[in-house]
Amino acid sequence: MSDHDPHGPVTRPGASADETLQHAIEAEHGGHGDHHSHGGLGKYLLVFLALCGLTTMSFFTYSPAWPWRDQPQVGWTFMMAVSCTKAMLVILFFMHVWWEANWKYVLTIPAAMMALFLGIMLIPDIGLRNRMVSQERALHMARGSDVRLMEQAGEAKALEQPAGH
Amino acid sequence: MSASAITASHGHDGHGHGHDDGHHGHITLQYQPGLPLTRGKLIMWLFLSTEIMFFAALLGSYVVLRFGAPVWPKPHHVHLSEPIGAFNTFVLICSSVTIVLALESARANKASVAKVWMLLTLLLGTLFLGVKGYEYAAKFSHGIYPAMPHSRIYERPDLYYGSAVRARLGEPAMIDRLKELDDTPADKLTAEQVAARGRLQQIRKMVASPDQQAFDLAVVADQVMPLPTEGSGSDHGGGHGGHASGLNDVFPWLRLPTVIPGGNMWASTYFLLTGFHAIHVGVGLLVFAIMLTWTLNAKRAGAIENIGLYWHFVDLVWIFLFPLLYLF
Repeated sequence: MSDHDPHGPVTRPGASADETLQHAIEAEHGGHGDHHSHGGLGKYLLVFLALCGLTTMSFFTYSPAWPWRDQPQVGWTFMMAVSCTKAMLVILFFMHVWWEANWKYVLTIPAAMMALFLGIMLIPDIGLRNRMVSQERALHMARGSDVRLMEQAGEAKALEQPAGH
Repeated sequence: MSASAITASHGHDGHGHGHDDGHHGHITLQYQPGLPLTRGKLIMWLFLSTEIMFFAALLGSYVVLRFGAPVWPKPHHVHLSEPIGAFNTFVLICSSVTIVLALESARANKASVAKVWMLLTLLLGTLFLGVKGYEYAAKFSHGIYPAMPHSRIYERPDLYYGSAVRARLGEPAMIDRLKELDDTPADKLTAEQVAARGRLQQIRKMVASPDQQAFDLAVVADQVMPLPTEGSGSDHGGGHGGHASGLNDVFPWLRLPTVIPGGNMWASTYFLLTGFHAIHVGVGLLVFAIMLTWTLNAKRAGAIENIGLYWHFVDLVWIFLFPLLYLF
């Protein structure tokens, strides 16, 4: 943040407050020399390549080469870490937050905290819903045994004709 | 000069009397904004903070529902294709780059270059929606809808499922169609169709049989639409996850009820999350289309920055949706 004008933008006659502010912000950027390309093409390309690389990394968990196929939690944690990294890259560089003044904290931190609280508040409401379910729901609810039954039926090939392929 | 005249007149109306002792008759009014950014950008950021909470609630409920569910379908059970999802991720990332380049060009006052980048963004966004539509069509063709009149998903291979299959096979139009299939000479059908016809005839006997066992209905469900196992699911060669042999696939007109354990909740969350995301993409595309009629010079840079912020946010949501829906 520049400190050449500690009192902030000055209103000029004939200009609305917003226009004046726009001029002041532009002037301030101009004072720094390299105004319009915070990053420039090279930096954006680098971020783009990083994003592609990170997407490939999370996609890698789906490939047979992923070593923790029997422990999905490892993959989930890994993918969430990758997603958060990607999100940070997009927010910081594509949304220019990296170069913004301190107002960014005023707007993003409360929203992020509210989002976090929202998620936490959902846990008791929905997460424990299987503790007490209606008889009807218990009757129609899928269970692990149903999946196993389907898999057994698939392996049994009960209807496969000997003449068939 | 006019500035001093105006501010001087302000000085007399009792407004500036508190600080006019230093500079006589030359008071400069100061505009102190709450936050040092333009009104449009402030509004966009405030809107985005509400959007963060909106999608956090949706994603949070998805996560809680998914991990609270006793059974959740694997991506192949519900005909999700990870490569298609990854491709769409790539498309959105590319569109984020193009809109940021449109902004840079507009700031440099290169209006025509900015227009090209924005057009590219519009095309990439359209491509994303097109791929999404293709995926939705694949779900619909397998009877995966979020609600019952269209949805053919049953949770378990139980008696209710058996009676639903029986009811479908007993529809008047279906009886005619099945009779037609039975009467078709074998040389007019492919080998796969002949084999499937045999299995269909056995299934018809099984669901009609009064002494059917619980396992029989699992066999019926497996014949209608098999759940791919871990081994067959991972190689994913034929575009259908290697399970094109289901009766519903061989005879698309059959449209028999299918069993996907946990499939109903999956469909509800999938269509809600991707649907809301697709609406956001659509709104972005609409704004891009309107802005393409403008001259995208430095004067419009503020507007491009704001729609760019929105577009990056849409990309951001997809960054979380892709692994949560396709890879978890």
